[in-house]
Amino acid sequence: MTATLSRLRAAMATVFLGLLLSGCGFNNIPTMEEQAKAKWADVQNQYQRRADLIPNLVATVQGYAKQEKDVLTAVVEARAKATSIKIDASQLTDPEKVKQFQDAQNQLSGALGRLLAVSENYPDLKSNQNFLALQSQLEGTENRIAVARRDYIEAVRIYNTELRTFPGIIWATLIYRSNKSMAEFTATDNAQTVPQVKF
Amino acid sequence: MLALLAESAVATLSFPPLSGRVVDAADVIPAATRATLDQKLKDLEDKSGIQLVVATVKSLDGADIETYANELFRTWKLGEKVKNNGVLLLVAPTERKVRIEVGYGLEGTLTDAISKLIIVNAIAPRFKAGDYGGGIERGVEDIVTTLSTDSGEWEKRPQLRAEDHSLLQNFITPLILIPIFLFVFFSIRRNLATPGARQLVRRGNSTVFIPVSTPWGSSTWGGSSSGSFSSGGDFSGGGGSSGGGGASGSW
Repeated sequence: MTATLSRLRAAMATVFLGLLLSGCGFNNIPTMEEQAKAKWADVQNQYQRRADLIPNLVATVQGYAKQEKDVLTAVVEARAKATSIKIDASQLTDPEKVKQFQDAQNQLSGALGRLLAVSENYPDLKSNQNFLALQSQLEGTENRIAVARRDYIEAVRIYNTELRTFPGIIWATLIYRSNKSMAEFTATDNAQTVPQVKF
Repeated sequence: MLALLAESAVATLSFPPLSGRVVDAADVIPAATRATLDQKLKDLEDKSGIQLVVATVKSLDGADIETYANELFRTWKLGEKVKNNGVLLLVAPTERKVRIEVGYGLEGTLTDAISKLIIVNAIAPRFKAGDYGGGIERGVEDIVTTLSTDSGEWEKRPQLRAEDHSLLQNFITPLILIPIFLFVFFSIRRNLATPGARQLVRRGNSTVFIPVSTPWGSSTWGGSSSGSFSSGGDFSGGGGSSGGGGASGSW
């Protein structure tokens, strides 16, 4: 009887404390979580945009450089793999899943880089207006991906810091116990540099 | 706190202050060209609300031009906050790099491909010949032409501006009216407190305070609203952001 009473009192004290401190960052954790999720949606959108450009690019290159079959199939396969991995916002806390996504996208970046490097050998292709437009769109998309990733990394950093520091840690342990820190999304440099082609 | 963290991320790069529509920190644009450019950019903003800013920098601080342009765009907050309709033409003569950075709201009009074409055809050949003023002028002309063909951007403008203004007034009105009411209230009370005033009130002369306060109140009111109009003359970013749209090139 006394045990339940004291537990009830503790619960009430918690509620009272919650009401008292509701101004002190009570909303920070959900707000920052939503922000990070929104940034993640941006990241995924930009990757999707890149994937959407690829069929056109492959078709254009094929018209001029049929013999580069290996490079072209590598791009098509990498695209298929990358688009098959989608990460739900709730899966962002799973580092394994995030790593899978990142690896697949990096592989596609590599394949695309090789395709663009190979296309340097075809003067007709290089001067094709359609190819030039696609190339600039692809460049633009790569840059948007870089910006979206940077924004996401920053949002996750802020969210993770809030979970581990005062006063956020109080709310994290008291109320938002199910909130786990999100997986770090490492900014790999090899995603941006065109891989070397050896002859 | 968010703003503070965002600032610390930018702190590694140094940016020139947004002193006008043409920020020539590298000092490569002739003064006459600068004046005509400024007028052109002002006309564009007056007509369509689009903030197009030309910037030249001495150094990119070791960053690539894409990162630098994006951070600079976000620091200056070009374009309106809701519409994100800003454009930045950034020239780095030392690194021989140029970039058109497009705000979120204009990505559909000034696409990556069009930005690239403007750089390749209008800007880079003139820069190669050392004609920075001419290259920037032609680039700005092409950007303005591209942006001006989007009629939807033009039509929505007046409505949004009216909305914005009423919002400002709604906020400022109580700020001005409350002190007036307090002033009137306290002056009535003070007058009531003095023995003579009691007689005045009894004679029905208390209304005297209202005509006195009205012209004073209305003059403040007029002053403040004209003040909010004149703030448009001093140039500053409108709170817009960019997600890396546009294109870059070198010469």
